[in-house]
Amino acid sequence: MTGINKVCVIGAGTMGAGIAAQVANAGVPVLLLDRAADNGENRNAIAQAAIASMLKASPSPFMTAASAKMVEAGNIEDDLARIAECDWIVEAVTERIDVKQALYARIDSLHVPGSAISSNTSTIPLARLIEGRSDSFATAFLITHFFNPPRHMRLMELVAGPRTQPAVAARVENFIDRQLGKSVVRAKDSPGFIANRIGAFWLLTAVNAALDLDITIEEADAIGGRPMGIPATGIFGLLDLIGIDLLPLLRDSMQALLPPSDPFHAAIRPLPIIETMLAAGTIGKKSKGGFYRINREKGKSREAIDLTTGLYRAAIKPGPVAADLRSLIAGRDKQGAFAWAVLGQTLAYAASLVPEAADDIVAIDRAMKLGYNWKYGPFELIDRIGPASFTARLHAEGAHVPAFLAAAGDRRFYQGVDDELRHFGIDGTYHTIARPDGMLSLEDVKRTSRPLLQNAAATLWDIGDGIACFEFTSKVNAIDMATLALLDQSITLVAERMKAIVIYSDAANFSAGANLDTAVKAIDAGDWDAIEHLLGEGQRVFKAMKYAPFPVVGAPAGLALGGACELLLHADAIQAHAETYIGLVECGVGIIPGWGGCGELLHRWTAFGDLPRGPLPVVARAFEIISTATVSKSAAHARELRFLAPSDGITMNRDRLLFDAKAKAIALVENYAAPLPPTFRLPGPSGHCALTMAAEGFHRRGMATDYDLVVSDALSQVITGGEKDIMDVISETDMLALERRSFMQRVRDPRTRMRIAAMLETGKPVRN
Amino acid sequence: MTPRNAVIAGYARSPFHLAGKGALARVRPDDLAAQVIAGLIRNTGVDPRDVEDVILGCAFPEGEQGMNVARLVTLIADLPLSIGAMTVNRFCGSSMSAVHMAVGQIAIGAGDVYLCGGVESMSRIPLAGFNPLPNPALMKARPGAYMGMGDTAENVATQFHVDRATQEAFAVASHRKAGVARSEGRFTDEIIPVQTRNGTVDQDGTIRPETTADILAQLKPAFAANGSVTAGTSSPLTDGASAVLMTSEDYARAHGLPILGRIRSVAVAGCAPEIMGIGPVSATRKLLERAGLSIDDVDVIELNEAFASQAIACANELGLDAAKINMDGGALALGHPLGATGARIVGKAASLLQRQGARYAVATQCVGGGQGIATLIEAI
Repeated sequence: MTGINKVCVIGAGTMGAGIAAQVANAGVPVLLLDRAADNGENRNAIAQAAIASMLKASPSPFMTAASAKMVEAGNIEDDLARIAECDWIVEAVTERIDVKQALYARIDSLHVPGSAISSNTSTIPLARLIEGRSDSFATAFLITHFFNPPRHMRLMELVAGPRTQPAVAARVENFIDRQLGKSVVRAKDSPGFIANRIGAFWLLTAVNAALDLDITIEEADAIGGRPMGIPATGIFGLLDLIGIDLLPLLRDSMQALLPPSDPFHAAIRPLPIIETMLAAGTIGKKSKGGFYRINREKGKSREAIDLTTGLYRAAIKPGPVAADLRSLIAGRDKQGAFAWAVLGQTLAYAASLVPEAADDIVAIDRAMKLGYNWKYGPFELIDRIGPASFTARLHAEGAHVPAFLAAAGDRRFYQGVDDELRHFGIDGTYHTIARPDGMLSLEDVKRTSRPLLQNAAATLWDIGDGIACFEFTSKVNAIDMATLALLDQSITLVAERMKAIVIYSDAANFSAGANLDTAVKAIDAGDWDAIEHLLGEGQRVFKAMKYAPFPVVGAPAGLALGGACELLLHADAIQAHAETYIGLVECGVGIIPGWGGCGELLHRWTAFGDLPRGPLPVVARAFEIISTATVSKSAAHARELRFLAPSDGITMNRDRLLFDAKAKAIALVENYAAPLPPTFRLPGPSGHCALTMAAEGFHRRGMATDYDLVVSDALSQVITGGEKDIMDVISETDMLALERRSFMQRVRDPRTRMRIAAMLETGKPVRN
Repeated sequence: MTPRNAVIAGYARSPFHLAGKGALARVRPDDLAAQVIAGLIRNTGVDPRDVEDVILGCAFPEGEQGMNVARLVTLIADLPLSIGAMTVNRFCGSSMSAVHMAVGQIAIGAGDVYLCGGVESMSRIPLAGFNPLPNPALMKARPGAYMGMGDTAENVATQFHVDRATQEAFAVASHRKAGVARSEGRFTDEIIPVQTRNGTVDQDGTIRPETTADILAQLKPAFAANGSVTAGTSSPLTDGASAVLMTSEDYARAHGLPILGRIRSVAVAGCAPEIMGIGPVSATRKLLERAGLSIDDVDVIELNEAFASQAIACANELGLDAAKINMDGGALALGHPLGATGARIVGKAASLLQRQGARYAVATQCVGGGQGIATLIEAI
């Protein structure tokens, strides 16, 4: 099985362009085709416009501006024969079978055997798509259903038909998994596949229930969101996010494709409220409003639609909702009735789809978790409720109990036995859930072993092969004295008994950085010694880690901010998930990086900066990045910012991160030598002058506040080397002392406290 | 020894393009200048063996326009090894100074033929250079010494009461004049097509004749939150090179070279760095006084448009007739590759003298750090 070295995406709409961008993000060249533009000389204008608009979007489908260069625009009329250059052809044209079939007829005549062809259809069965096609086409054809936006949504449903060559499907699956970083769920060739079929049913059922029970949309979202492990957008917030116009489209295609016996039809009824909103063009976030809107005429106040009147009114704050799922659905009030109406029907519907939509429950649960960001899949939710009581209640209410649910009886859908996790199968027995090659889950380690070290903030695990995993466990994985203490102990332990450390967290975000809560308490107590002690300990432990006699690999995903970024900069190597947002954001809260981050970033720019020579360019670049609290928009962007070194790795698939980081650590073990401390040649007061001029320019233009100037001056003092002359050689210890001095000056300033407090309260920097 | 007359016997420039994303961004400044120098020699037919010296201006002579870039340019252009070369720096006035130096050299009989020009790649060498390292003591004592040019433009706007709308009307006129000049082919003679990796570039890249006051009025202030100077009323960062052929009058006549004009007088003058844009006023007054002329005697004026605010303030202070200023547009439209602008406006002023059949032309410009420089050209 060979790899995929070039891809052609046909259709430069949101999905096609987004898929092309993700292929480009993987560093693979892609040809993006759309119709030839009718007017003007530039026949590639449509595909080109799609690329240009993606570059402008925020967040962009591209991980870096450079990725966009991997996408070549073309048009179907002139360039379709160029599919011969490509190993995989993805069709993402409009969702009409006649359009797709006409295109396939042309592809069929040009297609080179050996390359794969797939459709991004979200509803049309594969069997219909390949009607009339050659055997060569049909054996190369499959469905690859991405979710919007393809860069950020982790789910990809793959449907292989009876004629699809298994090797072709495996080759595409492997590429999408490892290089595009998507979690591939194998679905059956049934309408809407898995996630959208359940998702559409769930949304319609919830809207119906809210109308029937006279529940406000705020209440519906409060009940149907967090307590069920569903994002806080709940139902109506999610409809606003995806676009209310999508719901009727999904509903209508399901209605047309599903047999009359399918329970989906029962969820379909006239929804005048939605028809009215579509007519008014209030279709969610992409328009001027949806179920919710911000009324700018009323001082940016939040408003919501009243489901009874269809008019906007001030948003209300719903009352408390039982956090426990079982007590929530058992409740005899409106809340309980709504929760049960939604969950009872949705979970029962999901249970009816085995094996029609998927061979097993694992695929269904993964599809809902990855496609709709549910914390638990439908079967995990049934396990939480209790399968027996769930089924009993359905029975008691005279609802249909799917055969698969009845077969499970009082058995749970998942069970852990010894080292294995198993799931209940369609044959009535349990099956081991196997981890694919190249995936290592900290969850598995935790289920089968005990921590090497543990305190309130962190845990050290043995993940095999002599590699230890240092895991943050505090709230938002914030770093405080306990974290540092455990890291210090871990260094001693690993030096004695193990070979390397990987720093990692299963959480969505690696770490929000130093614990600001503790900091603000110490500030309020005037306990400057405590703050300076924390600062000194961070410096000491991070350097101890850097110069430890074994390799350390940082494995971030999501946010890695402030102190967490500084920690990573002290690692021997970083293996980052592609979606890593890393930055030294200290200036935003009125301080400067004090745990060695200034020196480490300067060193990286000196070593790999590729900047002009002389004392200022490196310093100016580091100043710009730190003073503006720049956070990378991806791991690839972090590499441009030099938070990642050229030798650091990027893992596209989140599920593969820990495995890759461990492999990197193992590779570093042999012949490991700790790094030598860097020395610095810095421009001193002259450089400080130059940076001051730049900062004052920003201030005059209104782009920096008064206190920004003060903070950036403190930073500038550090990274230009303080009072040192340009001829002096500055040591790493000197840099730490400079950081410490500037940090302690800033932390005592009331304006810094104001910034930290605002960050803790609102999560946003205050512009004082 | 009787001083000898120096004349302008040819003028050429590269197309001017926006720094960063323009068509010349990927061209090395030394290569760019070499093509312009070679083009000027080709166009004028001057025998390169007669050239005494190549004097090139450059405001940030480092990186690819560092070393003694003038000498490197003569080697790239494959000029005879017998020719000398030097690089001079008076910021924006650099290549006008190159002309002035040749005038002096010719006057004292130190050679007959000089190639004077300038180059700046603002794409490849940043404004202020790669390593600006101000003197902390001077910075404290005289902050204006290092003041950004945009800030000085704001100061001039305030001190000389030039409001935003006036600046924008001036910028619109500059683009309109340059647009007309281009469409009527009036730049064809002066532009040396430049060979780049992506093909030949033979047109300017920064002229926007379609711009209007309404469009410019929408721009945010570029240098001060409540300021009046915007990107639209500032000359764009530009890549370009220019050159003029300076010879003794005798040499030009003996070799049948066209004489665009004789240098009648030259001047430089300092002013407060914080209002450097007003520099042309004292320099031009000095220039005219030396020639015994008044501003009314002058028919053609090339007044560099570093910023609309300073150009307007200078025109007002000097009592200039708007119809005589920058007839083919100025730097707001054409761009301002710092080291190259001085030779461009001297060459342009001399060419306009010929076209207009006029007698006197003045080329003048402001210089960062607080100076003005000016050249008076007389048709003969």
